[in-house]
Amino acid sequence: MTIISLIKQVPLPNEMRMGEDGLMDRTKAKSIINVDCQYGLEAGLQLRKHYPEARMIVCSMGPPSFQASLKKAISMGYDEAYLLSDKKLGGSDTFATGLALATLLKHLEFTKEAKAPFVIFSGRQTSDGDTAHVPSQVAENLDVPQATFVEKVTSGEHGNIIAKRIIEGGFQMLELPTPCVVSCTPTGIALRKPSLVGAIKARNATVTVLGIDDIGLGTEKIGLNGSPTIVSNVVDIVSERPPVLMSEGTSEKEKVNSLIQNMKKERTVLNKQAAKEKIKTDTFDFQVVDTRGDNKHILTWAEVVNGKIIRPSLELFTPARHLANQLGNDTKVKTVLIGKEITALSDTLFEYGADEVICVEDERLEEYLVLPFAQIFAQIVKKEKPEIALFAATTAGRELAPRLAVKTGSGITADCTGLEIDEYVDKKNKQIIRPILQSLRPTYGESKLATILGFEYPQISTARAGTFEIPARMEDKKGVLSTFEPQLDASAFRAKILQTLRGEGGLQNLFDAEVIVAGGRGTVTDQLGLVKELAKALSSSGINAEWACSRAVVDEGIAEYARQIGQTGKTVRPKIYIAIGISGAIQHLVGIKESDTIIAINHNSKAPIFKNADFGIVGEYQDIVPELIEQVKNGTFQIAKK
Amino acid sequence: MIDENIVYTDVLIIGAGPAGLSTAIHLADLLKKKGERQRILVIEKGSAVGAHILSGAVVRSGIFKELLPEVNFEDIPFDSPVKKDGLLFLLGKSMAIKSPLHPPYMSNKRAYIASLGLLCQFLASIAEEKGVEIYPGFAVNEVLYNSEGKIYGAKTIDTGINHHGEKMENFQVGTRIEAKLTIFAEGVKGSLTQTVIDKFDLQKGKNPQIYSLGCKEVWEIPSSRIKQGEVYHTMGYPLNFREFGGGFIYGLKNNRVAVGLVVGLDTADPTFDVYSAFQVWKTHPAIAKILKGGKMIAFGAKTLPEGGYYSFPKPFVDNALIVGDGAGFVAMPALKGIHHAIKSGMLAAETALVAFSKNDFSEQTLQIYQEKIDASSIYKEFYPVRNFRQAFAKGLIKGAFHFGTQLITGGAGFAGKLKVHSDAEATKKMKDFKGKRFKERFKNKLEFDKELTFDKMTAVFYSGTHHDENQVCHLKVNNLNTFQSINIEQYDAPCQYFCPADVYEIHTEHDGTKKLRIHFENCVHCKTCSIKAVGDGITWNVPNGDNGPEYENM
Repeated sequence: MTIISLIKQVPLPNEMRMGEDGLMDRTKAKSIINVDCQYGLEAGLQLRKHYPEARMIVCSMGPPSFQASLKKAISMGYDEAYLLSDKKLGGSDTFATGLALATLLKHLEFTKEAKAPFVIFSGRQTSDGDTAHVPSQVAENLDVPQATFVEKVTSGEHGNIIAKRIIEGGFQMLELPTPCVVSCTPTGIALRKPSLVGAIKARNATVTVLGIDDIGLGTEKIGLNGSPTIVSNVVDIVSERPPVLMSEGTSEKEKVNSLIQNMKKERTVLNKQAAKEKIKTDTFDFQVVDTRGDNKHILTWAEVVNGKIIRPSLELFTPARHLANQLGNDTKVKTVLIGKEITALSDTLFEYGADEVICVEDERLEEYLVLPFAQIFAQIVKKEKPEIALFAATTAGRELAPRLAVKTGSGITADCTGLEIDEYVDKKNKQIIRPILQSLRPTYGESKLATILGFEYPQISTARAGTFEIPARMEDKKGVLSTFEPQLDASAFRAKILQTLRGEGGLQNLFDAEVIVAGGRGTVTDQLGLVKELAKALSSSGINAEWACSRAVVDEGIAEYARQIGQTGKTVRPKIYIAIGISGAIQHLVGIKESDTIIAINHNSKAPIFKNADFGIVGEYQDIVPELIEQVKNGTFQIAKK
Repeated sequence: MIDENIVYTDVLIIGAGPAGLSTAIHLADLLKKKGERQRILVIEKGSAVGAHILSGAVVRSGIFKELLPEVNFEDIPFDSPVKKDGLLFLLGKSMAIKSPLHPPYMSNKRAYIASLGLLCQFLASIAEEKGVEIYPGFAVNEVLYNSEGKIYGAKTIDTGINHHGEKMENFQVGTRIEAKLTIFAEGVKGSLTQTVIDKFDLQKGKNPQIYSLGCKEVWEIPSSRIKQGEVYHTMGYPLNFREFGGGFIYGLKNNRVAVGLVVGLDTADPTFDVYSAFQVWKTHPAIAKILKGGKMIAFGAKTLPEGGYYSFPKPFVDNALIVGDGAGFVAMPALKGIHHAIKSGMLAAETALVAFSKNDFSEQTLQIYQEKIDASSIYKEFYPVRNFRQAFAKGLIKGAFHFGTQLITGGAGFAGKLKVHSDAEATKKMKDFKGKRFKERFKNKLEFDKELTFDKMTAVFYSGTHHDENQVCHLKVNNLNTFQSINIEQYDAPCQYFCPADVYEIHTEHDGTKKLRIHFENCVHCKTCSIKAVGDGITWNVPNGDNGPEYENM
């Protein structure tokens, strides 16, 4: 067995380096192994427990300075390190990166045909890119199965790999043959510390540095010019939330009183500028070109879970219709529906806005699996030649879309919050490309908004769940229904689902509640007792309140999945969101950022939640929450009526 | 698998400070001269060499020429030579008088201002060139003893343990480092050094070691406030005549200034708070006028041993030597330990060379280390002032009188050997302490404005401190029962005041009882709690490697 880990070195993420005062950046020169990649490294080391003789390899792509992280990986138990480093790779997008890494692996003789088994580990996504594309793209380039969003890996029978994959509302156990790619979420086992014996080994080890010529990679499809997508613009995201007001005082009574006083203060609401800010550039007298050829229409995927179309797939109809209107010329929204006995669902899709529904019925496709679904999409794209393909950025969408993008050679934009038709002034070739899809996406830990353009068709994007509203339902609206018969061979089903565990979607009240009291890892000590008690006290005082939790709490088995808020849970927008013992990982923040007011209670004054809250209290929740409950009961803690 | 986790070395040096690195460099040099080679391995708990180093620092440079004869003196990264050296008496809240006289023992002629962290990085690079292996980011928490009870190395801490002490899936057993000779260069109040001193009773017949706590900040200030190379020490405010200590102001290059306050930990007031006293000190107009409009860029705190000659532990046992601050080599009147640390390292290296030539690391051979110390500049500087600090334990006026007689009598003073209480014992119970309590004394001065003065949490942030969440709390209350009945009830838990990093919190529960909470993640590794906690005390164990402050050039 060979265990390969792909890692990236990144600057210390923003939320980890800002000072209390938000000013100091003492660690600006500091680099770390990307956090998700750390979990991939550890997953590899965990798998070695089953294969003590495994060859341990770590690879990266980037400037020579990345050798530091590769050596660090050696000090933790890896044996060999390879760095693909070439100036010509500069500016590569995820498509080009996936291609380059796959070429490096092939050069090292890790191909689908290799006789000896191997597993490639990686992080889910990087903190300076947040796309989660590269693992899928490496897998597609190598033509091997994959599991993404993986929390834990063990060895199965016949040399197979068992991966626990995080999905919305639950998890899935997958069995994968080798070779395969496994990308890991930062909820698994944290990376071990280096050992002294490891550090001594790392000191004497050399990192093999290879250039593109060494691995036989041409320049056509890499670097800035070879990448199918470009970043055309980056602006700072100006938070609409004014800086957090922290409670003062030494006792919990003083702190809670201070919170109540703070909440009465007039808060200046800042306007979200980034998305609207548009700098008027010079007008160019270039020729306008339309590069679409015979590509036309917008393709979307209606993801089916437990026999129902999921909410984020319905949300897609909002941007899809908007883009179709902007493009005009009878552009249609065509929606793909894949599964077992799903044709009946097409009515719903028509009512929400699909012009056409393409059904793929196959009993083997009842549960989503990336390999057959990617094959089906590639075949549909080939036939339909859409101009744009949109996916909801679910755990499925975010692995399926990049895999498809490699098959179509078109690149992809991840987790978009804005989709517009515009033009691109290509100064180099003195032309204006119009129309073109502008995909806007937050990056760098939600601090920047990047505009990404794709030049190959279809232009593929995934849209962040909860960003777009579901369009109004048009009762009895009809459309064109067709079926598609894909060519699927048995190899598409190499990876097997052993088990899918999904909590009930239910608890609609979380979408309607005025106040949500949510507990995180910090509140498991009393099984969320105080969190529930606070919600109950609020309800008793006539407020529509509900309790919820972070992923960590669900993982501990203390609350059901239906109560989970965040990227793999619900996206909510209550009047007041009270986050108790929640550190504020990005995955949680995206689920709450639309809340009117966020109150954070945490013992760690450095917790990122405070940078994303309106009001904060530093203290132990066991002290603060009872006081808060007291104040709710005696009527001092109230919600301002708007 | 277990066998893979052992490292064999000839010399293990624990701690990459000036003492440990000097031992390594000098031993490598001496061996090279003899055409020999031994493996010298240095391990350091800080994330990098220098990360846990904090000093003023004004350094006597001569010792560097001695240690590094082949190095160009100009290449040594001193900040600047001391150009002006003054002593200020701060009288009350606003007056300051420049002392016309400068005590000879505090003279800084031919001295250099430096960042000791930077000097250590420089020494580390030289050591590496000479073939010494240095591994920062590793903590050792166990001395290895053989069947005869003799030291033969140390073991790095087990990692991957949760706060209950249970192994997690990423558990890794520590590495055993087996060595012929182990050098304890852990600095002040080293956690393993202390266990060795206790096990072999090395403090027997000596005074207990006593300490000061120093808090330091580096500021960027508007130009021309203070010149590079200007050195000022202050006496007086905010300390009273019973409290031993003073402030320092060192002008650095690039419009930076290092400021600090060092206070003896033998204060009687159980609520005395050195950190806050430092903040108050900065508000004195003589200091504030230098800092106003500037920006604090770094904070740190560290204790230093100042018992002097009569507090030196025996610095050798079979197979091991103690060097530097760990052996108490800080000369008190001048507040200087760096040149002694380096000197002791060099003497340890000379001792090691003899031991290697005889292939004998027993006490018989290693005792020449003591002989060398007694024949060296260390003895020469310490012996005449052997009663200095003890005298000042009685207060400034009596101390000055005693010290005056010591100058005349060559250090003996009236009493020969002055005895001293440990710093914990010097603390008075709440009911016995008759003076004004700290908060009362400075009641209008303890609202920190976040411009000139800062709360402890902000300071901790500027120390770059971090600790892995998953590990056993490295601070151990030795007896929870007596902590409640003595420390909290009789002394009002001095740790909640003296800790400069807000590690210790006394929380009043709903039923009115007071409970200790430990926020070990804030710990800046100053060791005050292991020195000053009364009763059965607190033990400072080492946390995971690379944890703790990340001092940059402190």
